[in-house]
Amino acid sequence: MRSRDGNSDFSLSVSVSVGFLLLLPSLALNASEFLISYRYLVKDAVLYNETLEISKTMQKCKGKPYQSIVFQTRDDKNLKKIIEKNHRKFVDYIHHIGLNVEHHDATINYKYSSTTILTLKTTCFKVDFNDNFVKVSPLK
Amino acid sequence: MKLSLVITALFSGVLLIAAPNTGRVQAFQDTVTTPTFSQVEESQEVLLEKNKNLLISVLGQGVAPMNTYSPAQAFALAKRAAIADAYRLVAEKVKGVRVDGQDIIKNMMVKRSTVRTSVEAMVRNASIVETTFKEGLCEVEMEILISHSQFQFQ
Repeated sequence: MRSRDGNSDFSLSVSVSVGFLLLLPSLALNASEFLISYRYLVKDAVLYNETLEISKTMQKCKGKPYQSIVFQTRDDKNLKKIIEKNHRKFVDYIHHIGLNVEHHDATINYKYSSTTILTLKTTCFKVDFNDNFVKVSPLK
Repeated sequence: MKLSLVITALFSGVLLIAAPNTGRVQAFQDTVTTPTFSQVEESQEVLLEKNKNLLISVLGQGVAPMNTYSPAQAFALAKRAAIADAYRLVAEKVKGVRVDGQDIIKNMMVKRSTVRTSVEAMVRNASIVETTFKEGLCEVEMEILISHSQFQFQ
């Protein structure tokens, strides 16, 4: 809508550009980094001690993001809660990224026992929080 | 007396003729025709060639613990155990297994017999093809596609 002094176009463009400039840093601030580790033990084909540790980094991580995963959210900024809601999907994703496999079995006097430990060593993840979704990607 | 000797001679002759068809000789022939270890190794060993991908398929098994609250929890836990087993099998197929054995024999008797195997590997990009859960046993069919370039060190 045109105002009486005829400067509407200019004022509109200034306000849009100022808004965009204000939005950019806010988007950048919403990206944060988390350290995630995951481990579980299977002894004689039975699962024990499944642990998933999530904590915010205290210093900036190095590396480039790869193999991202996206979770649908409703303006949620708590990663632990988001992962809790999408636990199965996230664990499948961690398996896909890659886990260290450590297996030992022993047959002592013809009695068999086995232990397998799967571990995701503490890895830095970049997390982009948005209004409707969260993008999680490991850094390498 | 003479008649009995003739009969035994005839009987033994029949046996000699029939001998090639008996099980023992057949078994001997089988051992002759059985391929040697090196031949088996050559024919069955799958090698990873350049510009060719190799699909490895394994079947992992897992069992639910006794103290579960629901069948759903039992399934989830058994599936995770089966996935770990499948990862272990993939690692064993790709990297091989370290085997250590020890027998302690005292006074001509085995006191303690121990066989230990172990494998350590990093497995990524494995995909689950099929999952079945029957009578407390969960089976996960897993596949992994490996290529020559993945094993080239920079």
